[in-house]
Amino acid sequence: MTRYFFKRLLSGIFTIWITTIAVTLLIHLVPGDPVQIMYAQSQSTTPEQLEQIRRNLGLDRPIYEQYIMYMGRILQGDFGTTIRGNQPVLDLLLVRLPNTLLLTTASLVVTIVVGVTAGFFAAYKRDTWIDSTLMTAAILGISVPSFWLGLMLMYIFSMQLGWLPVSGTSLRNLILPAITLGLANAASVSRLTRSSMIDVLTQDYMRTARAKGLKEGTVLSRHALRNGLVNVVNMLGLQFTYMMGGAIVVENVFAWNGIGRLAIQSIFQRDYPTIQGFILIFATVVVVVSMVLDLLYVWIDPRITYK
Amino acid sequence: MPPLLSVENLSTHFVTKAATVKAVNQVSFQVNPGETVGIVGESGSGKSITMLSVMGLVPSPPGQIVSGQVYFEGQDLLKLPLEQLRQIRGNQMAMIFQDPLSSLNPVLRIGKQLVEAIRRHTNLSSADAKAHAIHLLQRVHIPNAAQRINAYPHQFSGGMRQRVMIAMGLACNPKLLIADEPTTALDVTIQAQIVELIKELRADLGMAVVWITHDLSLLAGLADRILVMYAGQIVEQAPLLDLYANPRHPYTLGLLQSIPRLDAAQQTRLRPIAGLPPNLANYPQGCPFAPRCQYAIDRCTTEDPTLEAISPEHQVACWVKPERP
Ligand SMILES: Nc1ncnc2c1ncn2[C@@H]1O[C@H](COP(=O)(O)OP(=O)(O)OP(=O)(O)O)[C@@H](O)[C@H]1O
Ligand SMILES: [Mg+2]
Repeated sequence: MTRYFFKRLLSGIFTIWITTIAVTLLIHLVPGDPVQIMYAQSQSTTPEQLEQIRRNLGLDRPIYEQYIMYMGRILQGDFGTTIRGNQPVLDLLLVRLPNTLLLTTASLVVTIVVGVTAGFFAAYKRDTWIDSTLMTAAILGISVPSFWLGLMLMYIFSMQLGWLPVSGTSLRNLILPAITLGLANAASVSRLTRSSMIDVLTQDYMRTARAKGLKEGTVLSRHALRNGLVNVVNMLGLQFTYMMGGAIVVENVFAWNGIGRLAIQSIFQRDYPTIQGFILIFATVVVVVSMVLDLLYVWIDPRITYK
Repeated sequence: MPPLLSVENLSTHFVTKAATVKAVNQVSFQVNPGETVGIVGESGSGKSITMLSVMGLVPSPPGQIVSGQVYFEGQDLLKLPLEQLRQIRGNQMAMIFQDPLSSLNPVLRIGKQLVEAIRRHTNLSSADAKAHAIHLLQRVHIPNAAQRINAYPHQFSGGMRQRVMIAMGLACNPKLLIADEPTTALDVTIQAQIVELIKELRADLGMAVVWITHDLSLLAGLADRILVMYAGQIVEQAPLLDLYANPRHPYTLGLLQSIPRLDAAQQTRLRPIAGLPPNLANYPQGCPFAPRCQYAIDRCTTEDPTLEAISPEHQVACWVKPERP
């Protein structure tokens, strides 16, 4: 267990390290002069000023030196400042990160509740109309882009029915984006749950549980669900990664003030330091959360503990 | 004494779009209190499905009990509401299975799996149920029962797992224990230990046992009576010694000849039965064994023989009933 944990930790650190390299190269991979791109919108900057900025950002030095400088700053918690407004990037990101985490967590709850329930019933009522209805819905759910689903929900619940606010960042505002992002992922979770449950329902230990005379509800909840969830939990780390990606879109559709919205704004403004910071924070969150979910997987399935 | 279990004309089929597999056909037999009955037959002959039908555990769909009665202590289990049947299962009638690893839930501690069986049918508190579970593990000779109760199935050896299964079956002192090839997945020395264990427990508890196996020699010294199944039918039934001494169905004869005998002269060779059992989805006309039978006469291919008594306790389904050569 401890060994597994450290292995997992090391690979997480490695992933983040690779991300820092990618982030440094990012500026140079985009065609054109980064400084000119960044300041193209403000006419007033003179060539001398541009040169000054270039030197401040260290862009006149060799790449490996830039990388070492960048790492040095990051390790001290300095992610640079935004191009416009000169705000510290880290502060900006950390203020908005809780909003993104709130959104993704709420969405994950929607995904699990809707996806697992639907998948479970589809498996239990396998090859009946219930199964086919649920799985058709799941295929639709997978094919519908989340921005479209989001706009539809917004149209129905906010504009037509007037039940929920159109956009903003409050708890009441959380409902629609969380449902949008949650449903988009619930579809694939329901399909996975279904196939996993179908497998579990035909296992020998299910017969043993029934042979004891246990009630059907006990057989399903205690014996089937827990085993079926092993596979689902195993997939949650990946789901969460998708969800973080999806959050970028959904945050923008619903004007939810998370880091995804900030990222898109920064991209439009060619605000490289913020984009770099965003990528790093994003990668770190994904790595940490997947690690926690993996540990949950080890905990739920006792057989893995000793591997 | 009335029989503990009486199965009458039981037929269980598997109905799918492609075919109907007649897994069990018009099977009738009885088990008396405290008696041990062996059911023997080749793979696919319907041994497990017969006893799963008794327990009400045939996977459905596609399985379907199409006819018959199953009387347990005089009650027809097939007519019983499901909830009442569940109160008998695991309580008065228990079943253990071939593969103890896959038959135990991998993510639950064995203590939990034992306790849930106990508490389902008793009013014991969880502490008392746990104490009883430890007692059951001791009873099946699992060392350090008090600690082992917290282990998971994968932490046990094959033989120990089967002991856990047996302990689970005994949780409520059943009147009938159905053992479906409980030793097949185990190696030979462990097999013998499990057989000894069941004999010991049977003597202590006075329960009846139905022991399913494809190995006729295993039943020597274990079973009182034997049912021989072929293609979903009982083709011969007799007390153990009677069957060994005077087998009258050619299939039983074949089974006995395929057992190596220590006392046999060197030159008598083992003779496995030639040919394959019939396709149960396309049931043949006449006796299902006829295509493989060296004694078959014309009548065998047109008319299916029914069980006929050749002595009060010995019945054979065969038109020829050849004596052992
Ligand atoms: N779920 C199922 N669907 C379709 N057919 C089945 C199913 N389960 C069993 N059968 C059929 O029922 C017949 C009897 O099976 P059963 O398991 O009772 O055999 P068995 O005598 O116990 O054999 P073994 O020694 O291999 O355990 C087999 O021919 C099998 O093809
Ligand atoms: Mg079987």
